[in-house]
Amino acid sequence: MSAKRVFKLLGKDFSVGPRKPFFIWALLMPFALTLLFQFAFGSLFEPKPRLGIVDLGDSAITGEVRELEGFEVSVLDDVEELLRKVEEHDLDAGLVLAAGFDEAVKAGEKPALEFYISGESLASNRIIITVTGIEMIRDLEGGEAPVEVETVYFGEPGLPISIRLVPVIVFYALAMAGMWVPSSSLVEEKERGTLTALLVTSATVNEVLIAKWLLGFLFATFLAAVTLLLNQAFGPRPLEVMVVIIVAAALASMIGLLIGIYSKTATMLFTLIKSLGIFLFVPVVFYIFPEWPQWIAKFFPLYWIISPIWEVSIMGESLSLVWFELLVASAITLALIPPALLMKKRMLT
Amino acid sequence: MKKPVSKGSLLISILKKDFRVYSRNMIYLFLTILGLAFFVAIFWLVPDTVDEEINFAITPPLEALFSEGKETLLAHGFPEENLGQLEEAESAFEEEEGLFLVEFENEELLKKVIQGELDIYKTNESSFVIHDPGGEQSRPENADKINLDIGMSFPATFLSDAVLGQKPKVTIFADASVPDELRGVMEGFVREMAYQLAGHELPVELPDEETIILGQDRVGEQISMREKMRPLIAFFIMMMETFALASLISNEILQRTVTALLVTPLRTWHFLLAKTIFGTALAMGQAVIILLLIGGFTATNWHLLLVTVLLGSLLFTAVAMFVGSAGKDFIGQLMYSMLFLIPLMIPSFAVLFPGSVATWVRALPSYPIVRLLYDITIHEIPWADALWFLIYAASWTLVLYGISLVVLKRKVSLL
Repeated sequence: MSAKRVFKLLGKDFSVGPRKPFFIWALLMPFALTLLFQFAFGSLFEPKPRLGIVDLGDSAITGEVRELEGFEVSVLDDVEELLRKVEEHDLDAGLVLAAGFDEAVKAGEKPALEFYISGESLASNRIIITVTGIEMIRDLEGGEAPVEVETVYFGEPGLPISIRLVPVIVFYALAMAGMWVPSSSLVEEKERGTLTALLVTSATVNEVLIAKWLLGFLFATFLAAVTLLLNQAFGPRPLEVMVVIIVAAALASMIGLLIGIYSKTATMLFTLIKSLGIFLFVPVVFYIFPEWPQWIAKFFPLYWIISPIWEVSIMGESLSLVWFELLVASAITLALIPPALLMKKRMLT
Repeated sequence: MKKPVSKGSLLISILKKDFRVYSRNMIYLFLTILGLAFFVAIFWLVPDTVDEEINFAITPPLEALFSEGKETLLAHGFPEENLGQLEEAESAFEEEEGLFLVEFENEELLKKVIQGELDIYKTNESSFVIHDPGGEQSRPENADKINLDIGMSFPATFLSDAVLGQKPKVTIFADASVPDELRGVMEGFVREMAYQLAGHELPVELPDEETIILGQDRVGEQISMREKMRPLIAFFIMMMETFALASLISNEILQRTVTALLVTPLRTWHFLLAKTIFGTALAMGQAVIILLLIGGFTATNWHLLLVTVLLGSLLFTAVAMFVGSAGKDFIGQLMYSMLFLIPLMIPSFAVLFPGSVATWVRALPSYPIVRLLYDITIHEIPWADALWFLIYAASWTLVLYGISLVVLKRKVSLL
């Protein structure tokens, strides 16, 4: 076994890799998923009331509306555009503030409120926007409310869906880089005969396998870290997060190596990844739906890497809380070495 | 001498060969069956209702709150004929669309439910049952659990205090996960009720409900996620067949089987036509099966839906022919297909979002197909309303099919 040859093989994979479609896809996938989940699905699962406003004077309400939390606010210039957007349900509601509206309210003139609601908006959004609007108008009027309202909170605030989806994106980073890249690279070498060519040189099968594993490991570590950074989910303990990512990448690329060793053709590889993918993906779903019984997730191997990522990066816990999970993940990685060595003969036939 | 082979039998033999190759390709057969089962399962799993109400709790119950308020006011010499404003406030709670009210006897019970120590169920008879999940009693049967994250606790003297200007104090109990806007609306609701009771009218004139609602009022008739999934699933099934057909064509080009075929009486156009028929039949067949399984066809929409599915299948066949003509290996073809299919997928996601679709999305070739599938399966639009999108879809299909034919024919002739 020569470390120098392993690194030469690894260097070859890294220099040829960027031209391969699977390499490019593995690189692009976490970015694409981050965009999709954070911007699209984040607002799909938790849609916020969307209010449009046209201010024909200089109402204080417009400033207040812009500061509102939990709303999507658009300030428009044109009443016609506002009406069209409300009718097409691009907005849940629209408010037109006539010139001198604030002064009229303060003077007790009871001006007419030009307010529109989209027929397709949810009843809950209608109430939220209407009551909030009335509150702002009452504020304009001045004076003290004839009631004291105190709010008492119970428990900790729940995590938004965009954060709960982070394990999904990290899973894809690990799966694409850790599993897909080394296995595709190995299968491609088998199909094109370059593996046979390599093995007639002084390079051994073990060296090739270690180089492929390292390829997946380094790439998965990098992509998982970048994914967490992109999603601002590195947490308060970045070094500890890196330890978790390293353990996760080691396991993911070991699974990828096994798949690569077993698959004789790209078709077989694709079928294996697709079928195994569902099995491997299951623990991730439990983070999207925290109300499901969480113990079921422990039956799936990737639970032992997704759980530490969740705890340390998103929940900000320390490594001491997840040492057992990391131990199990490392044990699984080590336990997969003997099958890989046993199956390597399959590559030579 | 053998008699000449008819064009029809030539086509049939290629179609038979294609079908044999397809059925032997375990990966696509497996993915097709898995895809069909997966999509049907997903369809029946997603919710078929839209929860558009705000659930909230109050204590004491409305009846107790208002009867006590009225008695106190009468005892203070408040004129009976002026008690009408109390009834207005009561009806605001009970009749307001979008609010779902659960009443509790006391504050302790309300707090335990908000904290999640107790559960509340609504039975089929519209009564409420409190259940202790940690207790020995089993959960109530034929009842749905209600998620209550926010509740208001009114002092027994709230109404009389508000009317008499004595500034009562109301406590809102909320789970920390309750969004800001919902908490704000509850606080606003209480304040507005107090304003009304204290005789402070709104400082603006509110317009009539009929004049402020733009478009068809869908309260209570919102489109559920399951309904939205129906056109989406049909679209994805058609799209998935692009991979299978592209792979079939890629293999024929890579392995040069097409050149072997062309030394027989078969002509290039036979080959192209056979691929068109096979790809379209494959995509359309599966789309029809899935639409039958998820209840997409109705007595009024089946003909229009079939035409749309035919156009969609032809469109994706054209894409598959274009992708397949590159003659790439399995992985290369897979990635190459994705380059075309990802942009074509965008209009289908746009369907899930409220509001109109961006102009650039409308320009994508798959947009009219998605729009037609959506309008036909959800709104059951008639032919006249579908005509413009049918022409739009047919135009895109013709353009893409024309390009694919030219590219594939050229590729075949160069082999």
